[in-house]
Parts: sequence; structure tokens; C-alpha cells
Amino acid sequence: MRYIDYKTLLPRSVAGLLVAPFLIFPLFSTNLATLSMFILSGIWAIAVMGFTLILRTGQFSLGQAAFMTIGGYTSAILTVQLGWPFWPSFLLAGVVSGIIALIIGSVVLRVGGVYFSIITLALGEVVRIIAMQWEPVTRGSRGLGTAPPDPISLGGFEINFAASAVPYYYFMILLVAITGLVFWQIGRSRLGGTFFSIAANPILAEHQGIHLMKYRVIAFTVAGVFTGFAGSYYAHFLSTMTPYMVGLWESIQIMIMSIVGGISSLVGGPLAGALVLYALGIYLSRLPVYGIQQLLFGAVVVLVLLFLPKGTGLVDLWDKFWRKVFREPDFYEIPSEEPSQE
Amino acid sequence: MKKWYSIATIIVITVMMLGIAAAPRPAHAVEPIVIKVGYTTAMSGPAAAWGQTERLFFESFVEVFNKKGFKVGDQTYNFKMVVVDNKNSPEGGAAAAKQLVYGDKVKFIIGLWTWNFPSIAAVTNPAKVILMTRTGNEAVPGIYDPKKMPYVVFGNPSEEEFISDCLALVEAFPKYKKLGILECTLGKGPGWDYVLAALDKAGVRYHMEFFPPGTQDFTPYITRYAEAGCDIVFVAGWVGEAMAFAKQRWEMGYKDMKVGHTGPLITPLAYIGVCGKEAAQGLIAEYCAPWDFKKTKVKSKYIKMCREAMKMASEKQGRPYTYTGGIGWFPSHLLILAQAMEKAGTVDDTDAIMEAIRGGTFSTTAGTWTMSGAKTYGSPVVFGTPGALSTIKGDKEVYLAEYPMEPLP
Amino acid sequence: MPPAGIWIDGLIQSCIYMTMAFGMVLVFSILGILNWTHGQFYMLGAFVVYYAFTAVGIPFPIAMLISGVVVGGLGILVEKFIIERVNVPSAQGALYVTVATMALIFFFEGAASMLFGMQEKGLAMVFPGVLDLGSFSVSYQKIAVVAFTLVIMIAMYIMLNRTKVGLAIRAAAQEPDAAGLYGISVKRISLLVMGIGCALAAMAGSIMAPVYAVNPFIGRIPMIMSLLAIIIGGLGSLTGAIVGGIILGFVNSVVAYRLSYFSEVVLFAFVIIILLVRPQGLFGDPLK
Repeated sequence: MRYIDYKTLLPRSVAGLLVAPFLIFPLFSTNLATLSMFILSGIWAIAVMGFTLILRTGQFSLGQAAFMTIGGYTSAILTVQLGWPFWPSFLLAGVVSGIIALIIGSVVLRVGGVYFSIITLALGEVVRIIAMQWEPVTRGSRGLGTAPPDPISLGGFEINFAASAVPYYYFMILLVAITGLVFWQIGRSRLGGTFFSIAANPILAEHQGIHLMKYRVIAFTVAGVFTGFAGSYYAHFLSTMTPYMVGLWESIQIMIMSIVGGISSLVGGPLAGALVLYALGIYLSRLPVYGIQQLLFGAVVVLVLLFLPKGTGLVDLWDKFWRKVFREPDFYEIPSEEPSQE
Repeated sequence: MKKWYSIATIIVITVMMLGIAAAPRPAHAVEPIVIKVGYTTAMSGPAAAWGQTERLFFESFVEVFNKKGFKVGDQTYNFKMVVVDNKNSPEGGAAAAKQLVYGDKVKFIIGLWTWNFPSIAAVTNPAKVILMTRTGNEAVPGIYDPKKMPYVVFGNPSEEEFISDCLALVEAFPKYKKLGILECTLGKGPGWDYVLAALDKAGVRYHMEFFPPGTQDFTPYITRYAEAGCDIVFVAGWVGEAMAFAKQRWEMGYKDMKVGHTGPLITPLAYIGVCGKEAAQGLIAEYCAPWDFKKTKVKSKYIKMCREAMKMASEKQGRPYTYTGGIGWFPSHLLILAQAMEKAGTVDDTDAIMEAIRGGTFSTTAGTWTMSGAKTYGSPVVFGTPGALSTIKGDKEVYLAEYPMEPLP
Repeated sequence: MPPAGIWIDGLIQSCIYMTMAFGMVLVFSILGILNWTHGQFYMLGAFVVYYAFTAVGIPFPIAMLISGVVVGGLGILVEKFIIERVNVPSAQGALYVTVATMALIFFFEGAASMLFGMQEKGLAMVFPGVLDLGSFSVSYQKIAVVAFTLVIMIAMYIMLNRTKVGLAIRAAAQEPDAAGLYGISVKRISLLVMGIGCALAAMAGSIMAPVYAVNPFIGRIPMIMSLLAIIIGGLGSLTGAIVGGIILGFVNSVVAYRLSYFSEVVLFAFVIIILLVRPQGLFGDPLK
């Protein structure tokens, strides 16, 4: 009998089964609220992926919200003030965000640890204040009202963003898929390995000739580009861009989503974290009692941190589950006496 | 004997027939049709206290209104409110509008709080949903475009509200030296250019300051106002901040500086609790109770409806409901809508209803007005409420002054 | 030259930021963690004092002590059941603690919103009245704040430098292992220090409650400000916390007077520059 590598096949098929419903979801329900929830979770997932990438190099950036704001404002300004169509603005939003990340990163990444986190936090606020004060361009506190992307004609079939949220949904899936692919490839490549070594032991890495700053800046820039995309999409989905939409507290939420999702994985972790926590947040915000959303959000995060084994996130539960199924020893367990059954 | 029986029978039958004839005919038992009206306001976040207080009154008013309903042709109609939280932010407003228009499929949306007008209007206009907005910092020429947004009715735009409040203040204190205006940076925008230009035209002397959101410490601002010579400081709607300002100015020794804010008093006791009884005396706010108006005439039937709704709200919340804030707009918007539908003869055709609103005269809880404002916004649908002010005396709210609403130049 | 009112205001701000920063640095020195929930303990302290005073009628100074004890106790519980469990001895540990304390920010804000409502609550009736000093006046509440800070700082100084407990704390902060060898239960000291740090925050919130208003969101700004104060003063340094608090309070007040809402930008820019040029702040240890 031919050998079927069921240990790889089974988890992947189950993963596929879990992902597939998302692809065909709009066929069953075009409930705006649910679609919005998924779309927004996807957007945040991208931002969280950026955070996790930076985390891979050993830095906590509490300023990712700044790049979402920059990306959002870039595309909003281009479409609203200059009349550009959506798609070029969207791409440019990512580029501008990346360039700014490059500049800022080169200056700020020299400082490490807690100080870096606080600088990024401060930067997030500075970006917000700039957005608020630069009235002629950003219209200050009132923000910019963005329009949906123009309809795209494919043959005889038109994708109309203005009519419903379904096109947004599919574009979000596309965006998440592309981002995920890019990040996954980075994770598997030598580049990713270098990131990890910088985080694990910077001194050793330096001794081995790895130029720390260069890689940290690369990670920061890549994260900046994709977070900029996320921000631009966010602004256009919500039809508005204001300085208060993505700020300090959102940066904190990004960090929380990343840790809870699991930092061992660049793609799955952020997706899990964003989906679970954001969806949870949305469900809770429907409850009429104000405050319960925040309370339960905080409680859930703390509980997850308490009860997950040390150093893991939600995504690692997946691995553990499959190990249990195949009765393989866990990394943290001492293998039992009996050999595992095949 | 048989003769008596037949006479008795005839009499009984006659009486029965008369009785049946006199009995009220069973009414056509036509159930009133319910029209859904979307209502969006801040249901969460720090402004939620207001949103929830007002909601209580509005739901009671809708109940009172539905007792008689209104008729278009032969059919009676009732309103039903569909409430969605807009989180007091532009993106929340857009989300709320999308939910109402595409999810709940309403054709009319009433009620905004502050700055989510553009994002909500961007959703409602393409869908031909009539938006009756309470305020809109964006309702200024150059930003609001009646051609792009034909389905908007401005009821009580915040610029007009502020201007008429200031004019009422000047009427109440004709010997004032200078009016200090305080606004949060969140509200900065071209709306203020418009307001300040109108104040200039009316000859009002003022000095304006902005504070960042979350400020609790107003010492620097109080100092600056004192240096500028302001003896009245009017805050643009930020109640908590106005309370803090009033308290701190008292403590700093500026006891003659009057303090007020746009928007109605929540309840005098709240202010006394935060500022202290002395500092809270003389605090000025908007006053929307039509039964106290001196210069604006409101039909008594509407006054009765409001009073009944307030009683209902008191019963629902278990303690006296004194907040008069929402009377001037939501009930009046609802009444405008009902009257416009009656005039247009339809409850579905939003184009026809908008036609009926334009230039029409409506009698509501805020008086009797003709919709006009051609010069104000370039749109002939501007409404408003009189700038009526109240002040805290002891622990009660009393009427102070009134500036009747006129289409401003 | 800004008028007297501005300087007094700066003084008040300095006092509060000083107290908060002090508490934060205490916790940081022993536990090695930055407690992001510090601001929420400020807020909770204000609420405890509000209810103790208005609902139960306890005289204000005692209510303040009660709030210190209650919230300090809460801090100890948080430390014991959450932070310790989450703090694995690796780089990950610091990360998890940070996330946990950040999550707790939301938790406490939500809980406060639900339990106490979001409406502003006032304590204006506590120490009412003003002291007239000629061209300006100071409210007794503000005088109370300054008095409170003096008392607390003196108490802290005495405790840390003159008592056995203080000695134990300082030992555990500098050399936990050596301290352990001398019979000091570092674990118990950590809990105690957490309690003290949180109690400081709570009492700062209590003494400020009459000055401003009380609502579930008042913890945010003090948290950020005490963080900035620590940065300016240097992360591990108690003196730094005090000096940082003073600098921050006065700078904030004077800049706000001159530039009104631009004070936000100035403060953040100032902190960024410090972090770039001298990250260890004024009194902290230089990093490698």
C-alpha cells in the first residue's frame, strides 16, 4: 500500500475545511454585520502580522496604529483631495507607509527594548496629533469622507463596492491571503531565520556578522508597508478617516491580539488572535450594557494567558491538538514508557 | 293574553333593533401600518449618558404619538424607532448608517450627535434615505452640497444652535464685556469660521480657545480667558468639561465669570455634585421645554404630548424625568416627517416627501416654522429651534432668556 | 511670566505625577515589570473614596486610607494570581506581563463603567472653600493635594531608609538573590511592594477626586503621564520618579498656558528626544 503521509495530510485537510466556509460564506448570508466583522478582523489580522514580524526581531512596536493612520490618510487624501481612483491610492498608501517606516525605523531602532516600545507609542500619538493639526490636508478632527472604490467591470459582470459589502469581503480575503503568503515565505526563508536569531541572541548574531540594525529596519519596513495597506482599506471600508480611529489603544489591542494568537506563527497566530478577539469584541459590543465589552475582552485575554501553557498562543493549540491525535510526545512532556502506536 | 305577548314581542324586537342601530359600528379595524425610522446616537462611550437619557424620552414620545398616529388618506400610520449605536464617531456613524439602510431597510433616519454627519450622509443619500439631522458641524457651504446630498433635512444644526445661544446670552446680559468660547479640538473645523463670522456680524465680542480631549485641568484656559477680559465663558457642548471649568474658575477666584454650555442641563444636581453648590449657581445651558417659552409659540397639543411623554419616561425610570433636551428636535423631526407625508400623500416616495418638506410650513414642538434657508446653506431645508437658555438657581433649572430662531444671513 | 495660578497648577500636577511615578518605579524595581494597570488603580481609588464618602459616610481622610488598603489589596491579588502566573522567566515573561496588564486596563475600565456608570461624579463637598491670597486664590482641595504628597513622600523616605521593611525592600530590589540568602522572602516583599505601589496610585486618585470629577476614564492620562515621568527620570530610579514628576508637571502646565492644546505635542516630542539621546533618563542606569 502506498504510504500516505497522513500526519501532514490530515491537519492540512482539516485546516482547509475550516477555511473553506469563509470563502463561500457570502453565498449563505450577506448579513452586513457579520460580513463587517470578518472584514474588520481581516484588516486587523494584517496589522497584527506586521507586529508579529517586528516581534520576530525582538522588538515590540506599540506604534503600528501610526502606520495604519498614515496608510489610511494617504489613500484618503489621494482619493478625496486629489481625486485619484482607489487602487493606485491604495498601493501608494502602502508605499508611503513603508517609506516612513524605513525613515523612522532607521533612527529609532537603535534604541532597544522598553525604550523602543515607548518611542513607538509616543510616535503613534505624534502621528495622530499631526493628522489633527494639518488642517488643510487632513481636515483635522472632522476627518475625510472616503468613497467606495469604483465598480470594476469584468466582462459582463460588475463588481460594485457601493452596493454591498461582499466585494469588500472578497478583497479582504485576497489581501489577507497575499499578506499571509508574503509573511509565510519570509518566515521560512533565510531572512526569517536571521530575524529569529537576532531576537534570540543579539550579541551572538552580531558576532556572526549579522548587521542587527539592517534586519530590524527591514522587518519594521515590511510591517509598515502592509500595515499601511490595512489602514487604507480600513479607511475606505468605513467611509471615513479621522485622527481618532486608530490610536494608542488600538496599538495596544494589536499587541494583545498578536500575543494571544500566538507569536510562534507569523500568519496563523495573528489570524487566530484577530479573529477570536475582534469577533468577540464585536459580539460583546452588541450587548446593551456599556463596559461589558471591555471587561470581557480584558478578562478573556487574561484568562487565555493564564491557562495557555507558557509561551504559547491560540495557534499552538492547533499543534498540540494534532500531536494528541497522533499520540506523539509533546515538546514539554516526557515521553511515556510505551512506544507510540503507528 | 295572546295580544299582550305579541305587543311585548314587537316592543322587544323594536328596542333591540334600535339598540343595534345605535351601537357603534365595528371600526374598519384597520391596523395602523408601522413605519420604521432609524435613530442613531451615542449609546456607548462617555456621551452615552445623554444618548440613553434621550432615548428614554423619545421612545415614550413615540408611544404617545402612536396613540393617535397620523393619517395619509384613509390609512393610519405609526412610527417605530430602530435604534443603532453610532459610538459618537464618524466611523461608528458610517457603520450605523449602513446597518440601518441596508440591514434594517429604513427609509428615514433621524438624529445625529455631532460630527458624523458627512459619513452618515455619504451612506444615506445614494440610497435615497431621508436624513433629518440634529446637528452637523459640516452643514456649512462648501462642505454640505445640496446637489450631492438632496435627501438631507437640517433640524437644529449646531452652528445655528450656537449662534442663537450666543445671541440669547447677549440678550440676557446686555452689559457683558466679552464672551469666551471654549471648544474641544475634536470639533475644530470650518463650521467655526461660519459661526464666528455670524457673531462678528451681530457685533458680539468674543475670544476663542480649544482644549484637547480628555483635559480635566482647565487652569491654563481659565487664566487666558481672564487675561482676555471674558466675563462669560460658553462651552460648545462638552458638559463634563463645562462642569470642571465652572468648579475650577470658582476656586481660582473668578467668581464673577459666568459659565454655560450648549446642550441642555442633564440635571442641576449633577452639576452641584461636581462643582459644589456655590460654583454651580448661575450655570447656563439650553432649555427646550416649550411650555416656558416666551417668544416662541408652540401648539398646546404638542405641549401636552411632551408632558405626557415625560411622565411616561419618569415612570419608566422610576424617578422624575426632568431632562428637556430632546424635545426641540426628535419630536419635532417626527412631526415634520408625519406632516410632510400627509402633504405628499405617500409614506414611501422619499422624493415626494422631500418636495413636501421644501418650503413647507410645519407646526411642531419647537414652534411653527417655514422651511427656508436658501441663503444659509444653499438648501431650502433648514429648520432650527429657538435659542432658549436656562440657568441653575438653587437646585432647580429656571428659564433665563430666549432668542427666537430666524433664518440667519 | 505665567501668573501664579499656572504655577500652583503645575505644582498640583507635579505632586500627582510624582506619587504615581514613585509607585510605578517601586513596582518596577522589585518586580521588573511595568504595570500598565497603574492608571486604573488611580481611577479605582477615586471611586472607592467616592462611595466610601458619599454612600457610607466615612470621613474623607479615613476613606482615603481605606481606598489605599482596598486597592492595594486588589493590586496584591492581581500580582499573585495573574502576574506571577504569567511571568515566565524569559523574555517572553515580560511580554506576557505587559499584555496581561494592558488587558487589565480594559477590564477595569469596563468593570467601572458597568458598576459605577459613566456619568461624572463629583466630590466637591470635600474640603470646600478657597484660600484667598490677594491676586489669586487656591482651593483647600489643592492645598490638601500638596500636603498629602509631602506626607507620603516623607512616609516613604522613612519607610525605605529607616525601617527594617524598607531595608528589605531595597535589598530585594538591588540583589534579590543575595537578599534571599539573608532570609528575606523576596516573594513576600514583592507582594508587599506591589500593594504599596498600587496603594500610592489609589491614594493619588483619592486626593484628586474632589479636585476634578470621577468617571471610569480618568485613569488613562495619569498612566501615560507617570510613564513619561519615569522615562524622564530614569526607569529604575526613585529619585528619578520624583524629579521626573516635578519636571513633567510644571512643563505641562506652563506649556499648556502658552500653547494650549499643543502641550500634547511638546510633551511627546520631548520624551522622544530624551529616549533617543539619553534613554536612561536623568537618573537611570545606562543600558549596554
